[in-house]
Amino acid sequence: MTAMVDIRSVTKSFGPVEVLRGIDLTVRTGEVTVVLGPSGSGKSTLLRTINHLEKVDSGQVSVDGALVGYRRSGNRLYELREREILKQRTHIGFVFQNFHLFPHLTVLENITEAPVSALKRSRKDAEATARRLLERVGLADKADAYPKQLSGGQQQRVAIARALALEPKLLLFDEPTSALDPELVGEVLDVIKDLAHQGTTMIVVTHEIGFAREVADTVVFMDEGRVVEQGPPSQVLDAPRHERTKSFLSKVL
Amino acid sequence: MPSVQPASGTLDTPAPAPPPVRTGATEAPRIVPRRRTGQWVAAALVLALLALAATSVVRNDAFQWDVVAGYFLTTAVLRGLGLTLWLTALVMVLGFALGTLLAAMRLSANPVLRSVAWGYVWLFRSMPILVQLLFWFNIGALYPHILGIKTVNLLGPLTVALIGLTLHEAAYAAEVVRGGILSVDRGQLEAAQSLGLSRWRRGLRIVLPQAMRSIVPPAGNMLIGTLKGTSIVSVIAVQDLLYSVQLVYHRTYQVIPLLLVATLWYVLITSLLSVGQHYLERHYARGAERTR
Repeated sequence: MTAMVDIRSVTKSFGPVEVLRGIDLTVRTGEVTVVLGPSGSGKSTLLRTINHLEKVDSGQVSVDGALVGYRRSGNRLYELREREILKQRTHIGFVFQNFHLFPHLTVLENITEAPVSALKRSRKDAEATARRLLERVGLADKADAYPKQLSGGQQQRVAIARALALEPKLLLFDEPTSALDPELVGEVLDVIKDLAHQGTTMIVVTHEIGFAREVADTVVFMDEGRVVEQGPPSQVLDAPRHERTKSFLSKVL
Repeated sequence: MPSVQPASGTLDTPAPAPPPVRTGATEAPRIVPRRRTGQWVAAALVLALLALAATSVVRNDAFQWDVVAGYFLTTAVLRGLGLTLWLTALVMVLGFALGTLLAAMRLSANPVLRSVAWGYVWLFRSMPILVQLLFWFNIGALYPHILGIKTVNLLGPLTVALIGLTLHEAAYAAEVVRGGILSVDRGQLEAAQSLGLSRWRRGLRIVLPQAMRSIVPPAGNMLIGTLKGTSIVSVIAVQDLLYSVQLVYHRTYQVIPLLLVATLWYVLITSLLSVGQHYLERHYARGAERTR
């Protein structure tokens, strides 16, 4: 299988704080990678570098064979124009911890906004796709509701449908269930599992160990801006080799 | 601790409740609100004062309500009103256009644009509008000719009024718009970026409509302030509503009734604008509440 995401020696600092200290990571097409780690380990920042919401200080990120945010010429990386970066982002779906639905637009408008304005789809086609996606996430009857009228779990499912509307090659989830009431976590994880079973390539940053065990092809454990350990869940979750992985798992399990 | 009702038991010992005292009726006790004597007294006092003021206004013939009625719809007054209205509208539109540009500059990544926008707001908020108007009125002293034309001929009182009021308005509008933009959650912008929306689309479709919720109330305030504030142009002999009634009373010496004519018009227009603001606020509150 080919690599969908290729991250090489990526570093990133916020002021004096080194958040990423040389990350190497490969995600293969059709696989689900779950990133675990304590808060402050850099996992969210890493995810944000993959669609250039965060610029790397050094190293490089490629998605589907193309450098993200840069063009290579000789031994230099030139930052792309905004329009080109925006185009790259339409291939990469991003789901935020706090949903970030547009509150002044209806559910349907939230989902059709990007296909219509960024991909120049016709409104009719975009709405048909949106309704199909809403059905898929179990919210067919909520098309005309405003986000605030929905529960957190429903809002996150709409956010997933919004990301899917661009038919991305890759889906990134940044702690998709961390802002939800406990009883709503399941409905969102079910949607993500469903996507996983259909062979969507995705990277999920989460604290849900059970989800990782069930869905992940690869589990990556990060701490202090480094990848400490990675491998299939049976190895990383059940027989961790590193002390830090062991102590983290003993706290969250 | 004495119990309030025989049936409720004491508060600190969870003793088994004694059998309820039969009061003859089985339905739940009726709730009797506390008497609010003070409120009644205060209301009566205020009403009495209002009545006193009203009778004094009605009985005092010096108000000359017949003269007010006589001038209320005269051509001179209506023409002044017309000028006040379109001057207000123009100042508001141009002021907010310039203000939005300044707000965008102030929030941009470019330090030069940021500083210039800050400097503009600092300068034009520091200058009293009256001083500024007089300054523009006498700009010919600094620049006798502009593009080969005599400044006095190029900048008549009305143009001077428009420039002065607009520049003043823009400084305040810039802060109102900036506040509105800052009130929008940063995540909204990130979500729009991650969906590949262009810079314009992000600003016009995502950020500005949400910013409008915070912009409309202070903007409504500014509109009403500007409507009345335009009366300041009477000092440079622009024939707005105030100057029009002044022209009449300088002739007829009916100062009070003609000031009342102007006042009533200002009150009337302000009331209409407040109603408009209400509907505008409702429009931009879309999706802000759980219930529509």
